[in-house]
Amino acid sequence: MNYLRQVAAIAGKDLRSELRTKEALNASLSFAVVILLLFSFVVDPDSEMLEQMSGGLLWMVFAFSGTLILNRGFAREIPNDCLDALIASPIPGSALFLGKAIANFALIAIIEAICFPVFGILYNLNWTQQLPVLLGVSALATWSMATLGTMFGALTVNMQLRELMLPMLIYPMLIPALMAAMQLTTLLIAGQPIDAEHAIWLRVLIAFDIIFTSLAAVLVETVLVG
Amino acid sequence: MRDKLIYGAGIFAALYFVRNLYVILLQLPDEALQGAVYRIFFFHLPPYFAAVACFFGAAIASGLYLKTKQWKYDVFAVSATEVGLALAAMNLVTGMIWGRQQWGIWWTWDARLTSALITWLIYLGYLMLREGIKDPSERAKNSAVLSIFALFAVYFTYKANVWYRTQHPGPVLTIRTGDAGTIDPAMQAMIYHNLGAFLLLTVALVAVRMNLEDSQRAVESLRRRAHAIA
Amino acid sequence: MDQREFQYMFYGLAAAWTILCLYTLFLTSRGRKIQAEIDHLKRMLESSPKK
Repeated sequence: MNYLRQVAAIAGKDLRSELRTKEALNASLSFAVVILLLFSFVVDPDSEMLEQMSGGLLWMVFAFSGTLILNRGFAREIPNDCLDALIASPIPGSALFLGKAIANFALIAIIEAICFPVFGILYNLNWTQQLPVLLGVSALATWSMATLGTMFGALTVNMQLRELMLPMLIYPMLIPALMAAMQLTTLLIAGQPIDAEHAIWLRVLIAFDIIFTSLAAVLVETVLVG
Repeated sequence: MRDKLIYGAGIFAALYFVRNLYVILLQLPDEALQGAVYRIFFFHLPPYFAAVACFFGAAIASGLYLKTKQWKYDVFAVSATEVGLALAAMNLVTGMIWGRQQWGIWWTWDARLTSALITWLIYLGYLMLREGIKDPSERAKNSAVLSIFALFAVYFTYKANVWYRTQHPGPVLTIRTGDAGTIDPAMQAMIYHNLGAFLLLTVALVAVRMNLEDSQRAVESLRRRAHAIA
Repeated sequence: MDQREFQYMFYGLAAAWTILCLYTLFLTSRGRKIQAEIDHLKRMLESSPKK
Protein backbone atom coordinates (compact mmCIF):
# COMPACT_ATOMS: atom_id res chain seq x y z
CA MET A 1 0.00 0.00 0.00
CA ASN A 2 2.79 2.31 0.95
CA TYR A 3 4.56 1.42 -2.29
CA LEU A 4 1.50 2.28 -4.35
CA ARG A 5 1.22 5.62 -2.59
CA GLN A 6 4.85 6.38 -3.46
CA VAL A 7 4.21 5.52 -7.11
CA ALA A 8 1.12 7.73 -7.12
CA ALA A 9 3.05 10.57 -5.50
CA ILE A 10 5.74 10.52 -8.20
CA ALA A 11 3.21 10.21 -11.03
CA GLY A 12 1.06 12.98 -9.56
CA LYS A 13 4.06 15.26 -9.11
CA ASP A 14 5.18 14.77 -12.72
CA LEU A 15 1.72 15.23 -14.15
CA ARG A 16 1.07 18.34 -12.09
CA SER A 17 4.30 20.02 -13.08
CA GLU A 18 3.76 19.14 -16.75
CA LEU A 19 0.13 20.23 -16.81
CA ARG A 20 1.04 23.56 -15.21
CA THR A 21 3.68 24.50 -17.76
CA LYS A 22 2.50 22.28 -20.66
CA GLU A 23 6.04 22.60 -22.05
CA ALA A 24 6.35 19.13 -23.54
CA LEU A 25 2.64 18.61 -24.07
CA ASN A 26 2.16 21.67 -26.30
CA ALA A 27 5.26 20.97 -28.35
CA SER A 28 4.41 17.32 -28.74
CA LEU A 29 0.80 17.97 -29.65
CA SER A 30 1.54 20.57 -32.31
CA PHE A 31 4.28 18.31 -33.70
CA ALA A 32 1.79 15.43 -33.90
CA VAL A 33 -0.80 17.52 -35.72
CA VAL A 34 1.78 18.81 -38.18
CA ILE A 35 2.86 15.28 -39.04
CA LEU A 36 -0.77 14.23 -39.41
CA LEU A 37 -1.20 17.05 -41.92
CA LEU A 38 1.96 16.11 -43.78
CA PHE A 39 0.65 12.61 -44.32
CA SER A 40 -2.04 14.00 -46.60
CA PHE A 41 0.75 14.68 -49.10
CA VAL A 42 2.25 11.22 -48.70
CA VAL A 43 -0.94 9.31 -49.46
CA ASP A 44 -3.94 10.45 -51.42
CA PRO A 45 -6.28 11.38 -48.54
CA ASP A 46 -9.37 10.01 -50.23
CA SER A 47 -7.96 6.68 -51.31
CA GLU A 48 -8.53 3.21 -49.96
CA MET A 49 -4.83 3.00 -49.30
CA LEU A 50 -5.11 5.47 -46.46
CA GLU A 51 -7.33 3.13 -44.50
CA GLN A 52 -4.86 0.30 -45.03
CA MET A 53 -2.05 2.50 -43.78
CA SER A 54 -3.95 4.19 -40.95
CA GLY A 55 -2.40 2.13 -38.13
CA GLY A 56 1.09 2.68 -39.44
CA LEU A 57 0.57 6.42 -39.88
CA LEU A 58 -0.93 6.92 -36.44
CA TRP A 59 1.76 4.97 -34.58
CA MET A 60 4.50 6.77 -36.46
CA VAL A 61 2.96 10.02 -35.24
CA PHE A 62 2.72 8.71 -31.68
CA ALA A 63 6.27 7.36 -31.72
CA PHE A 64 7.67 10.66 -32.98
CA SER A 65 5.69 12.99 -30.77
CA GLY A 66 5.97 10.58 -27.84
CA THR A 67 9.74 10.96 -27.68
CA LEU A 68 9.29 14.68 -27.09
CA ILE A 69 7.40 13.79 -23.93
CA LEU A 70 9.70 10.92 -22.95
CA ASN A 71 12.71 13.20 -23.29
CA ARG A 72 11.27 15.47 -20.63
CA GLY A 73 10.58 12.63 -18.19
CA PHE A 74 13.92 12.63 -16.42
CA ALA A 75 15.33 15.83 -17.92
CA ARG A 76 12.68 17.69 -15.92
CA GLU A 77 14.57 16.74 -12.75
CA ILE A 78 17.94 18.14 -13.79
CA PRO A 79 17.52 21.82 -12.88
CA ASN A 80 17.99 22.40 -9.14
CA ASP A 81 19.42 18.85 -8.78
CA CYS A 82 15.95 17.42 -8.26
CA LEU A 83 17.09 14.00 -9.47
CA ASP A 84 19.65 13.69 -6.69
CA ALA A 85 17.01 14.65 -4.18
CA LEU A 86 14.61 12.07 -5.57
CA ILE A 87 17.25 9.36 -5.45
CA ALA A 88 18.17 10.31 -1.90
CA SER A 89 14.51 10.21 -0.82
CA PRO A 90 13.27 6.99 0.83
CA ILE A 91 11.47 5.89 -2.35
CA PRO A 92 12.67 2.68 -4.01
CA GLY A 93 14.01 3.09 -7.55
CA SER A 94 11.28 0.90 -9.01
CA ALA A 95 8.56 3.13 -7.49
CA LEU A 96 10.26 6.17 -8.98
CA PHE A 97 10.41 4.41 -12.32
CA LEU A 98 6.79 3.24 -12.23
CA GLY A 99 5.55 6.67 -11.19
CA LYS A 100 7.41 8.35 -14.03
CA ALA A 101 6.28 5.70 -16.50
CA ILE A 102 2.66 6.23 -15.47
CA ALA A 103 3.02 9.99 -15.90
CA ASN A 104 4.57 9.52 -19.34
CA PHE A 105 1.82 7.05 -20.21
CA ALA A 106 -0.86 9.57 -19.27
CA LEU A 107 0.78 12.36 -21.27
CA ILE A 108 1.17 10.24 -24.41
CA ALA A 109 -2.41 9.06 -23.95
CA ILE A 110 -3.54 12.70 -24.00
CA ILE A 111 -1.77 13.17 -27.34
CA GLU A 112 -3.42 10.03 -28.69
CA ALA A 113 -6.85 11.03 -27.41
CA ILE A 114 -6.56 14.24 -29.44
CA CYS A 115 -4.91 12.70 -32.51
CA PHE A 116 -7.44 9.91 -33.08
CA PRO A 117 -10.43 12.26 -33.58
CA VAL A 118 -8.34 14.76 -35.56
CA PHE A 119 -7.20 11.92 -37.81
CA GLY A 120 -10.77 10.69 -38.21
CA ILE A 121 -12.04 14.15 -39.14
CA LEU A 122 -9.22 15.12 -41.50
CA TYR A 123 -9.26 11.85 -43.42
CA ASN A 124 -12.98 11.02 -43.19
CA LEU A 125 -12.48 7.75 -41.39
CA ASN A 126 -15.04 6.20 -39.10
CA TRP A 127 -12.48 5.01 -36.54
CA THR A 128 -14.80 4.37 -33.57
CA GLN A 129 -16.36 1.09 -34.76
CA GLN A 130 -14.23 -1.01 -32.42
CA LEU A 131 -13.59 1.70 -29.85
CA PRO A 132 -13.20 -0.35 -26.63
CA VAL A 133 -10.75 -2.82 -28.19
CA LEU A 134 -8.89 0.01 -29.91
CA LEU A 135 -8.50 1.75 -26.57
CA GLY A 136 -7.15 -1.43 -25.01
CA VAL A 137 -4.62 -1.98 -27.79
CA SER A 138 -3.56 1.67 -27.65
CA ALA A 139 -3.12 1.43 -23.90
CA LEU A 140 -0.88 -1.64 -24.22
CA ALA A 141 1.27 -0.09 -26.94
CA THR A 142 1.48 3.25 -25.15
CA TRP A 143 2.61 1.47 -22.00
CA SER A 144 5.42 -0.22 -23.94
CA MET A 145 6.54 3.20 -25.18
CA ALA A 146 6.26 4.64 -21.68
CA THR A 147 8.30 1.88 -19.98
CA LEU A 148 11.10 1.72 -22.53
CA GLY A 149 11.10 5.49 -22.85
CA THR A 150 11.31 6.08 -19.12
CA MET A 151 14.00 3.44 -18.68
CA PHE A 152 16.14 4.82 -21.48
CA GLY A 153 15.41 8.32 -20.32
CA ALA A 154 17.10 7.32 -17.07
CA LEU A 155 20.06 5.87 -19.01
CA THR A 156 20.58 8.97 -21.13
CA VAL A 157 19.65 11.68 -18.63
CA ASN A 158 23.22 12.84 -18.02
CA MET A 159 24.25 12.92 -21.66
CA GLN A 160 24.68 16.05 -23.71
CA LEU A 161 23.06 14.51 -26.77
CA ARG A 162 20.18 13.05 -24.78
CA GLU A 163 17.48 14.42 -27.09
CA LEU A 164 19.08 12.56 -29.99
CA MET A 165 20.17 9.44 -28.14
CA LEU A 166 16.78 8.54 -26.71
CA PRO A 167 15.00 8.02 -30.05
CA MET A 168 18.14 6.39 -31.48
CA LEU A 169 18.00 3.79 -28.73
CA ILE A 170 14.29 3.21 -28.27
CA TYR A 171 12.97 3.10 -31.84
CA PRO A 172 14.81 -0.10 -32.81
CA MET A 173 13.84 -1.72 -29.52
CA LEU A 174 10.21 -0.68 -29.82
CA ILE A 175 9.82 -2.23 -33.26
CA PRO A 176 7.97 -5.40 -32.12
CA ALA A 177 5.48 -3.38 -30.07
CA LEU A 178 4.99 -0.77 -32.79
CA MET A 179 4.57 -3.49 -35.40
CA ALA A 180 1.86 -5.12 -33.32
CA ALA A 181 0.13 -1.81 -32.62
CA MET A 182 0.17 -0.87 -36.31
CA GLN A 183 -1.29 -4.19 -37.41
CA LEU A 184 -4.05 -4.18 -34.81
CA THR A 185 -4.93 -0.50 -35.20
CA THR A 186 -5.34 -0.83 -38.96
CA LEU A 187 -7.59 -3.81 -38.41
CA LEU A 188 -9.69 -2.10 -35.75
CA ILE A 189 -10.07 1.18 -37.63
CA ALA A 190 -11.40 -0.83 -40.56
CA GLY A 191 -14.06 -2.05 -38.15
CA GLN A 192 -13.00 -5.67 -37.97
CA PRO A 193 -12.65 -7.59 -34.71
CA ILE A 194 -9.35 -9.21 -33.75
CA ASP A 195 -9.52 -12.65 -35.35
CA ALA A 196 -7.40 -15.71 -34.61
CA GLU A 197 -4.83 -14.70 -37.19
CA HIS A 198 -4.20 -11.36 -35.51
CA ALA A 199 -4.49 -12.56 -31.93
CA ILE A 200 -0.76 -13.28 -31.97
CA TRP A 201 -0.10 -9.51 -32.16
CA LEU A 202 -2.09 -8.99 -29.02
CA ARG A 203 0.08 -11.58 -27.33
CA VAL A 204 3.21 -9.88 -28.66
CA LEU A 205 2.09 -6.61 -27.09
CA ILE A 206 1.22 -8.17 -23.74
CA ALA A 207 4.44 -10.20 -23.59
CA PHE A 208 6.48 -7.14 -24.59
CA ASP A 209 4.90 -5.09 -21.82
CA ILE A 210 5.36 -7.75 -19.15
CA ILE A 211 8.97 -8.57 -20.06
CA PHE A 212 10.25 -5.04 -20.42
CA THR A 213 8.34 -3.62 -17.48
CA SER A 214 9.74 -6.26 -15.14
CA LEU A 215 13.24 -5.98 -16.64
CA ALA A 216 13.16 -2.21 -16.19
CA ALA A 217 11.76 -2.40 -12.67
CA VAL A 218 14.59 -4.75 -11.67
CA LEU A 219 17.39 -2.81 -13.35
CA VAL A 220 16.34 0.78 -12.74
CA GLU A 221 17.68 0.81 -9.20
CA THR A 222 21.22 0.10 -10.45
CA VAL A 223 20.88 2.77 -13.12
CA LEU A 224 19.77 5.49 -10.75
CA VAL A 225 21.76 4.66 -7.65
CA GLY A 226 24.78 2.92 -9.19
CA MET B 1 48.60 -13.95 -20.75
CA ARG B 2 46.31 -11.97 -23.02
CA ASP B 3 49.11 -11.29 -25.48
CA LYS B 4 49.79 -15.00 -25.73
CA LEU B 5 46.10 -15.53 -26.41
CA ILE B 6 46.15 -12.92 -29.16
CA TYR B 7 49.12 -14.45 -30.93
CA GLY B 8 48.02 -18.03 -30.35
CA ALA B 9 44.42 -17.56 -31.48
CA GLY B 10 45.46 -15.20 -34.26
CA ILE B 11 48.03 -17.56 -35.76
CA PHE B 12 45.75 -20.56 -35.45
CA ALA B 13 42.88 -18.61 -37.03
CA ALA B 14 45.11 -17.52 -39.92
CA LEU B 15 46.32 -21.06 -40.58
CA TYR B 16 42.80 -22.39 -40.29
CA PHE B 17 41.56 -19.79 -42.77
CA VAL B 18 44.30 -20.65 -45.25
CA ARG B 19 43.39 -24.32 -45.03
CA ASN B 20 39.66 -23.53 -45.29
CA LEU B 21 40.10 -21.22 -48.25
CA TYR B 22 42.14 -23.88 -50.03
CA VAL B 23 39.34 -26.41 -49.56
CA ILE B 24 36.58 -23.90 -50.34
CA LEU B 25 38.12 -22.58 -53.53
CA LEU B 26 39.93 -25.58 -54.94
CA GLN B 27 38.43 -28.78 -53.56
CA LEU B 28 34.71 -28.28 -53.06
CA PRO B 29 32.64 -28.59 -56.24
CA ASP B 30 30.20 -25.92 -57.36
CA GLU B 31 26.73 -26.05 -55.92
CA ALA B 32 24.21 -27.60 -58.30
CA LEU B 33 21.81 -24.65 -58.54
CA GLN B 34 23.95 -21.63 -57.71
CA GLY B 35 27.31 -22.37 -59.25
CA ALA B 36 30.36 -20.92 -57.55
CA VAL B 37 28.59 -18.11 -55.75
CA TYR B 38 27.39 -20.33 -52.91
CA ARG B 39 30.92 -20.11 -51.49
CA ILE B 40 29.94 -16.74 -50.08
CA PHE B 41 27.86 -18.68 -47.60
CA PHE B 42 31.01 -19.83 -45.79
CA PHE B 43 31.63 -16.16 -45.01
CA HIS B 44 28.00 -15.45 -44.28
CA LEU B 45 26.71 -17.86 -41.66
CA PRO B 46 29.88 -18.40 -39.57
CA PRO B 47 30.45 -14.67 -38.91
CA TYR B 48 26.81 -14.39 -37.91
CA PHE B 49 27.15 -17.19 -35.36
CA ALA B 50 30.33 -15.60 -34.07
CA ALA B 51 28.54 -12.24 -33.78
CA VAL B 52 25.66 -13.80 -31.85
CA ALA B 53 28.19 -15.45 -29.54
CA CYS B 54 29.77 -12.01 -29.02
CA PHE B 55 26.44 -10.37 -28.16
CA PHE B 56 25.55 -13.19 -25.77
CA GLY B 57 28.94 -12.92 -24.12
CA ALA B 58 28.56 -9.16 -23.85
CA ALA B 59 25.17 -9.47 -22.14
CA ILE B 60 26.50 -12.04 -19.67
CA ALA B 61 29.55 -9.91 -18.93
CA SER B 62 27.26 -6.92 -18.48
CA GLY B 63 25.20 -8.80 -15.93
CA LEU B 64 28.38 -9.81 -14.12
CA TYR B 65 29.55 -6.20 -14.19
CA LEU B 66 26.35 -4.98 -12.57
CA LYS B 67 26.77 -7.66 -9.92
CA THR B 68 30.46 -7.30 -9.13
CA LYS B 69 31.40 -3.84 -10.52
CA GLN B 70 34.69 -5.24 -11.79
CA TRP B 71 36.18 -3.36 -14.72
CA LYS B 72 37.24 -6.46 -16.60
CA TYR B 73 33.61 -7.36 -17.32
CA ASP B 74 32.88 -3.92 -18.75
CA VAL B 75 36.04 -4.12 -20.85
CA PHE B 76 34.96 -7.50 -22.17
CA ALA B 77 31.40 -6.35 -22.87
CA VAL B 78 32.39 -3.38 -25.01
CA SER B 79 35.09 -5.35 -26.83
CA ALA B 80 32.78 -8.25 -27.62
CA THR B 81 30.02 -5.91 -28.80
CA GLU B 82 32.32 -4.03 -31.13
CA VAL B 83 33.81 -7.18 -32.64
CA GLY B 84 30.29 -8.58 -32.92
CA LEU B 85 29.25 -5.51 -34.90
CA ALA B 86 32.13 -5.97 -37.32
CA LEU B 87 31.22 -9.64 -37.79
CA ALA B 88 27.53 -8.82 -38.20
CA ALA B 89 28.48 -6.22 -40.82
CA MET B 90 30.35 -8.97 -42.65
CA ASN B 91 27.23 -11.12 -42.47
CA LEU B 92 25.00 -8.33 -43.80
CA VAL B 93 27.30 -7.31 -46.65
CA THR B 94 28.02 -10.84 -47.89
CA GLY B 95 24.30 -11.57 -47.67
CA MET B 96 23.49 -8.54 -49.77
CA ILE B 97 26.02 -9.47 -52.43
CA TRP B 98 24.68 -13.00 -52.56
CA GLY B 99 21.13 -11.65 -52.75
CA ARG B 100 22.09 -9.34 -55.63
CA GLN B 101 23.35 -12.30 -57.60
CA GLN B 102 20.67 -14.83 -56.68
CA TRP B 103 17.53 -12.72 -56.34
CA GLY B 104 18.59 -9.74 -58.43
CA ILE B 105 18.05 -7.39 -55.49
CA TRP B 106 20.39 -6.10 -52.81
CA TRP B 107 17.82 -6.14 -50.06
CA THR B 108 14.44 -7.61 -49.25
CA TRP B 109 12.35 -7.13 -46.13
CA ASP B 110 12.48 -10.75 -45.11
CA ALA B 111 12.28 -11.61 -41.41
CA ARG B 112 15.93 -12.55 -41.09
CA LEU B 113 17.23 -9.58 -43.02
CA THR B 114 15.07 -7.11 -41.15
CA SER B 115 15.88 -8.44 -37.71
CA ALA B 116 19.60 -8.70 -38.54
CA LEU B 117 19.61 -5.04 -39.57
CA ILE B 118 17.69 -3.97 -36.47
CA THR B 119 20.07 -5.97 -34.28
CA TRP B 120 22.96 -4.14 -35.88
CA LEU B 121 21.31 -0.78 -35.20
CA ILE B 122 20.57 -1.65 -31.58
CA TYR B 123 24.19 -2.53 -30.87
CA LEU B 124 25.37 0.52 -32.77
CA GLY B 125 23.25 2.45 -30.28
CA TYR B 126 25.18 0.71 -27.52
CA LEU B 127 28.48 2.05 -28.85
CA MET B 128 26.98 5.52 -29.31
CA LEU B 129 25.71 5.51 -25.75
CA ARG B 130 29.24 4.74 -24.56
CA GLU B 131 30.65 7.54 -26.66
CA GLY B 132 28.28 9.99 -25.07
CA ILE B 133 28.94 9.31 -21.38
CA LYS B 134 32.11 10.80 -19.93
CA ASP B 135 32.14 9.34 -16.43
CA PRO B 136 33.66 5.82 -16.68
CA SER B 137 31.63 4.12 -13.97
CA GLU B 138 28.38 5.63 -15.19
CA ARG B 139 29.30 4.65 -18.75
CA ALA B 140 29.95 1.07 -17.69
CA LYS B 141 26.79 0.81 -15.62
CA ASN B 142 24.42 2.34 -18.19
CA SER B 143 25.81 0.46 -21.13
CA ALA B 144 25.64 -2.79 -19.17
CA VAL B 145 21.93 -2.23 -18.62
CA LEU B 146 21.49 -1.41 -22.30
CA SER B 147 23.32 -4.58 -23.31
CA ILE B 148 20.92 -6.73 -21.30
CA PHE B 149 17.90 -4.91 -22.75
CA ALA B 150 19.36 -5.30 -26.22
CA LEU B 151 19.56 -9.07 -25.98
CA PHE B 152 15.86 -9.35 -25.08
CA ALA B 153 14.93 -6.85 -27.78
CA VAL B 154 16.89 -8.76 -30.39
CA TYR B 155 15.12 -12.00 -29.57
CA PHE B 156 11.74 -10.29 -29.58
CA THR B 157 12.40 -8.51 -32.84
CA TYR B 158 13.36 -11.71 -34.56
CA LYS B 159 10.25 -13.51 -33.34
CA ALA B 160 7.94 -10.65 -34.29
CA ASN B 161 9.48 -10.39 -37.73
CA VAL B 162 9.02 -14.07 -38.42
CA TRP B 163 5.31 -13.76 -37.64
CA TYR B 164 5.03 -10.53 -39.59
CA ARG B 165 6.93 -11.25 -42.75
CA THR B 166 5.98 -14.85 -43.35
CA GLN B 167 2.49 -13.62 -44.16
CA HIS B 168 4.02 -12.54 -47.45
CA PRO B 169 6.38 -15.35 -48.43
CA GLY B 170 9.27 -14.04 -50.48
CA PRO B 171 11.78 -15.75 -52.73
CA VAL B 172 13.88 -16.61 -49.69
CA LEU B 173 11.67 -19.30 -48.33
CA THR B 174 11.36 -21.41 -51.47
CA ILE B 175 15.11 -21.39 -51.93
CA ARG B 176 15.66 -22.16 -48.25
CA THR B 177 13.26 -25.07 -48.16
CA GLY B 178 14.58 -26.34 -51.46
CA ASP B 179 18.06 -26.55 -49.99
CA ALA B 180 17.10 -27.92 -46.60
CA GLY B 181 18.17 -31.48 -46.05
CA THR B 182 19.92 -31.67 -49.37
CA ILE B 183 23.12 -30.04 -48.24
CA ASP B 184 26.26 -31.91 -49.17
CA PRO B 185 28.09 -33.33 -46.11
CA ALA B 186 31.41 -31.89 -47.29
CA MET B 187 29.89 -28.45 -47.61
CA GLN B 188 28.24 -28.72 -44.22
CA ALA B 189 31.54 -29.78 -42.64
CA MET B 190 33.14 -26.77 -44.28
CA ILE B 191 30.63 -24.47 -42.59
CA TYR B 192 31.66 -25.84 -39.22
CA HIS B 193 35.35 -25.58 -40.08
CA ASN B 194 34.95 -21.96 -41.04
CA LEU B 195 32.87 -21.35 -37.93
CA GLY B 196 35.80 -22.67 -35.90
CA ALA B 197 38.17 -20.36 -37.74
CA PHE B 198 35.87 -17.39 -37.16
CA LEU B 199 35.53 -18.17 -33.48
CA LEU B 200 39.33 -18.26 -33.11
CA LEU B 201 39.54 -14.98 -34.97
CA THR B 202 36.85 -13.54 -32.70
CA VAL B 203 38.83 -14.53 -29.60
CA ALA B 204 41.91 -12.82 -31.00
CA LEU B 205 40.03 -9.66 -32.02
CA VAL B 206 38.20 -9.37 -28.72
CA ALA B 207 41.50 -9.76 -26.87
CA VAL B 208 43.10 -7.05 -29.03
CA ARG B 209 40.15 -4.77 -28.43
CA MET B 210 40.36 -5.44 -24.67
CA ASN B 211 44.01 -4.38 -24.69
CA LEU B 212 42.95 -1.23 -26.45
CA GLU B 213 40.26 -0.53 -23.87
CA ASP B 214 42.79 -1.03 -21.07
CA SER B 215 45.16 1.44 -22.72
CA GLN B 216 42.30 3.86 -23.15
CA ARG B 217 41.64 3.61 -19.41
CA ALA B 218 45.34 4.22 -18.77
CA VAL B 219 45.21 7.34 -20.92
CA GLU B 220 42.22 8.61 -19.02
CA SER B 221 43.87 8.15 -15.65
CA LEU B 222 47.14 9.70 -16.89
CA ARG B 223 45.17 12.65 -18.18
CA ARG B 224 43.53 13.09 -14.84
CA ARG B 225 46.95 13.10 -13.16
CA ALA B 226 48.24 15.60 -15.70
CA HIS B 227 45.31 17.85 -14.95
CA ALA B 228 45.93 17.55 -11.23
CA ILE B 229 49.53 18.70 -11.68
CA ALA B 230 48.97 21.43 -14.22
CA MET C 1 33.71 -18.59 -66.43
CA ASP C 2 30.59 -16.54 -65.85
CA GLN C 3 28.37 -19.57 -66.14
CA ARG C 4 29.78 -20.70 -62.83
CA GLU C 5 28.91 -17.32 -61.26
CA PHE C 6 32.47 -16.56 -60.24
CA GLN C 7 32.03 -12.81 -60.39
CA TYR C 8 29.76 -12.40 -57.38
CA MET C 9 31.60 -15.08 -55.43
CA PHE C 10 34.66 -12.93 -55.83
CA TYR C 11 32.77 -9.80 -54.76
CA GLY C 12 31.38 -11.58 -51.70
CA LEU C 13 34.68 -13.01 -50.49
CA ALA C 14 36.45 -9.73 -51.22
CA ALA C 15 33.84 -7.82 -49.23
CA ALA C 16 34.17 -10.19 -46.27
CA TRP C 17 37.95 -9.88 -46.16
CA THR C 18 37.83 -6.13 -46.76
CA ILE C 19 35.59 -5.63 -43.74
CA LEU C 20 37.91 -7.78 -41.67
CA CYS C 21 41.01 -5.88 -42.84
CA LEU C 22 39.35 -2.51 -42.31
CA TYR C 23 38.40 -3.44 -38.77
CA THR C 24 41.89 -4.73 -38.01
CA LEU C 25 43.44 -1.57 -39.47
CA PHE C 26 41.01 0.50 -37.43
CA LEU C 27 42.08 -1.39 -34.29
CA THR C 28 45.79 -1.02 -34.94
CA SER C 29 45.58 2.65 -35.84
CA ARG C 30 43.58 3.34 -32.73
CA GLY C 31 46.08 1.35 -30.68
CA ARG C 32 48.94 3.36 -32.12
CA LYS C 33 47.17 6.63 -31.40
CA ILE C 34 46.51 5.64 -27.81
CA GLN C 35 50.11 4.47 -27.34
CA ALA C 36 51.37 7.81 -28.66
CA GLU C 37 49.12 9.62 -26.25
CA ILE C 38 50.31 7.48 -23.33
CA ASP C 39 53.93 8.26 -24.19
CA HIS C 40 53.17 11.93 -24.53
CA LEU C 41 51.35 12.08 -21.20
CA LYS C 42 54.06 10.10 -19.40
CA ARG C 43 56.75 12.42 -20.72
CA MET C 44 54.68 15.40 -19.65
CA LEU C 45 54.21 13.98 -16.16
CA GLU C 46 57.91 13.18 -15.75
CA SER C 47 59.14 16.57 -16.94
CA SER C 48 56.73 18.58 -14.85
CA PRO C 49 57.92 19.47 -11.33
CA LYS C 50 56.29 17.45 -8.57
CA LYS C 51 54.01 19.37 -6.32
